[in-house]
Amino acid sequence: MYGNTHITEEEAKRLNVLDEDTEKLAAFEDRIARGEKIEPNDWMPKEYRRQLLRMIEQHAHSEIVGALPEGTWITRAPNFRRKLALIAKVQDEIGHGQLLYSAAETLGKTREQMLDDLLNGKSKYSNVFNYPALTWADVAVIGFLVDGAAIVNQVINSKGSYGPYCRALERICYEESFHLKQGHDNVVYLATGSPVQRTMLQDAINRWYRPLLHFFGPPDSNSQHSEKLMKWKVKLASNDDMRNQFLDQYVPKIWELGLTFPDPNLKKNDAGIWEFSDPDWDEFKRVISGDGPCNAERLAVRKHAEEAGRWVRNALMNKNEKYVTPLA
Amino acid sequence: MSSLDPRVNRLHLKEGATGPVHTNSHLITWEVFHQEKRGRQHVHVGVVHASSPEMALIVAKEAFGRRGKTANLWVVKTEDVYTFQTEDEDMFETTPEKTFRDPADYKVRDRIEKFQKQQLQKV
Amino acid sequence: MNNEALKDLLYKMADDALIIGHRNSEWTGIGPMLEEDLAFSSMAQDKIGHAKALYQILHEILGEPEPDKVAFLREENRFKCCQFVELPIGEYDFSLVRQFLFDHAEAVRYDMLTSSSFQPLALLAKKVKGEIKYHVMHADTFLKQLGTGNEESHARMQSALNYAMPYALGIFEKGPFENELIQQGVFAGEEAAKNKWLEKIAPVLQAAGLQLPEISDDKIIYGGRKGFHSEYLKPLLDEMCEVVRLDPVAEW
Repeated sequence: MYGNTHITEEEAKRLNVLDEDTEKLAAFEDRIARGEKIEPNDWMPKEYRRQLLRMIEQHAHSEIVGALPEGTWITRAPNFRRKLALIAKVQDEIGHGQLLYSAAETLGKTREQMLDDLLNGKSKYSNVFNYPALTWADVAVIGFLVDGAAIVNQVINSKGSYGPYCRALERICYEESFHLKQGHDNVVYLATGSPVQRTMLQDAINRWYRPLLHFFGPPDSNSQHSEKLMKWKVKLASNDDMRNQFLDQYVPKIWELGLTFPDPNLKKNDAGIWEFSDPDWDEFKRVISGDGPCNAERLAVRKHAEEAGRWVRNALMNKNEKYVTPLA
Repeated sequence: MSSLDPRVNRLHLKEGATGPVHTNSHLITWEVFHQEKRGRQHVHVGVVHASSPEMALIVAKEAFGRRGKTANLWVVKTEDVYTFQTEDEDMFETTPEKTFRDPADYKVRDRIEKFQKQQLQKV
Repeated sequence: MNNEALKDLLYKMADDALIIGHRNSEWTGIGPMLEEDLAFSSMAQDKIGHAKALYQILHEILGEPEPDKVAFLREENRFKCCQFVELPIGEYDFSLVRQFLFDHAEAVRYDMLTSSSFQPLALLAKKVKGEIKYHVMHADTFLKQLGTGNEESHARMQSALNYAMPYALGIFEKGPFENELIQQGVFAGEEAAKNKWLEKIAPVLQAAGLQLPEISDDKIIYGGRKGFHSEYLKPLLDEMCEVVRLDPVAEW
């Protein structure tokens, strides 16, 4: 899912198999341990390339699919300021997708192959975007809290080992700070506004609470670890750590507006760790396997966009030009 | 399929469509160099997919210039950029040691003071 | 200076920009390729920005309500946009052809307005010149590439052009204050604008391998400037104002 690595048992086994070239592997791992970046033409273990490509690709898919829930309200933003901000924000999601596909391309897979895999279901995207944006207030909640969660993820991953991904993430993090501010701005106006606005906002928060907890993936006790992915700085923090960081940053900001989360057990304990009710990981599994409220629609819209655009791309394409993998 | 998004409803989506969508519709990539202000260097910022120099410039403007300042942009086809091989990184390894090229390698303050002290003693 | 004449001119320009900006913003996230999605979206934001600037002049100088109110709380028959901008986005061929035809018209109009005797408009025209230049550059580049791309793209572009032209000519529908605006040096008039526009688009269409369709006067789609709109404007406005109407006095 979103810039995160959810590893299957089979993959965990593969990671523990010794790679072909022990000398090259040692040099590779030394470089990472020194804090240096791996660049596209470096030798890299097959499994590193595979996991990284999958992670960046899924992040890219998450961005362009993520444009759809908020895009729901683009034509209905209630004033000039919100209208321009929302169009710019959704535009940024496409822009981030563009940056991330380009970063993933450096690992040898074309954008078209990646989009095909999105549409045929082979590649995943962040589960959180399989939920509907029912009201205008959902736009505020997504802009503030979902983007907030994404930022926690992105800031951590920007310290990873792969150069192109880090560079893309730096640019993305900078733009995300705008998303967060305009999202918070929207939340505050609704929270401090009329009863109609406040009720709409509280309802949206209630509906997005569980998907937000699901965002960082299952608790680490339930998911496959990989020491190797941590060593290779592909996975940089545990799901639980990131989720805790998110709650620590954002729960107080909702509470200070006199709004609530639908969870009587949500609180910070004496050790500084946020506790919460079990968010139903079965629902998470169901939705990520295709059984969520919006999965079919998200893919159908993406497929439509790709198909409707095919005549354009075919007409633009210069058949004499040879595609080469981007450099960085 | 009925959507919450009125735009999507106007697309009249077909349900249940699957299968690959792209066949050989690659547009090549162009490396983009961004100049923030007059007087500054152009800096590499990423790539765009495009099929002509004009298109590359036009899309690069919004891919990489929709925030902050931009004075100008360069685009170059990826295949026209040349680099050293990664293995040849070792050619650059000893350069930082060549401190004879650095201002910091040249300190004469101590020598001047010693000389001045000697001159005073002679007097 | 005749205030009613100025208001009429500003409202039609602002309404055009708002509605076409709104339409083009619909492409955000579902464009034919990521890079073009970004470009189209930026241009939509520019147009909405132009609308806001024009409504701001109407508010500050001519005593009209503030931009948010006139954009989001006005009835359909008080809008002065041409019917061309109201049409749904259709497929990319239509939207691009509309962008080409409309943005060239805007470029001509704003160019003429840089020497307007109405200072605020002259200043705005100078300010947005750069943005409009980009819009025209974008339209010309894509029109030429798609017009000459392959058989399918050529056919689509020609067909879209044939469909759009009667509507596009409606951009130059004369308002009730045409003569006042010309006499007072505010704007040299729709006829002059139309002729300059035809001169500008002809060579680009030729380079794109496209035929400029001949449209007889009776086929041109007029009415927008007088408040008579296509079937599409009311649903567009209902949609645009849906959230505001939940609580029109609230601050959003």
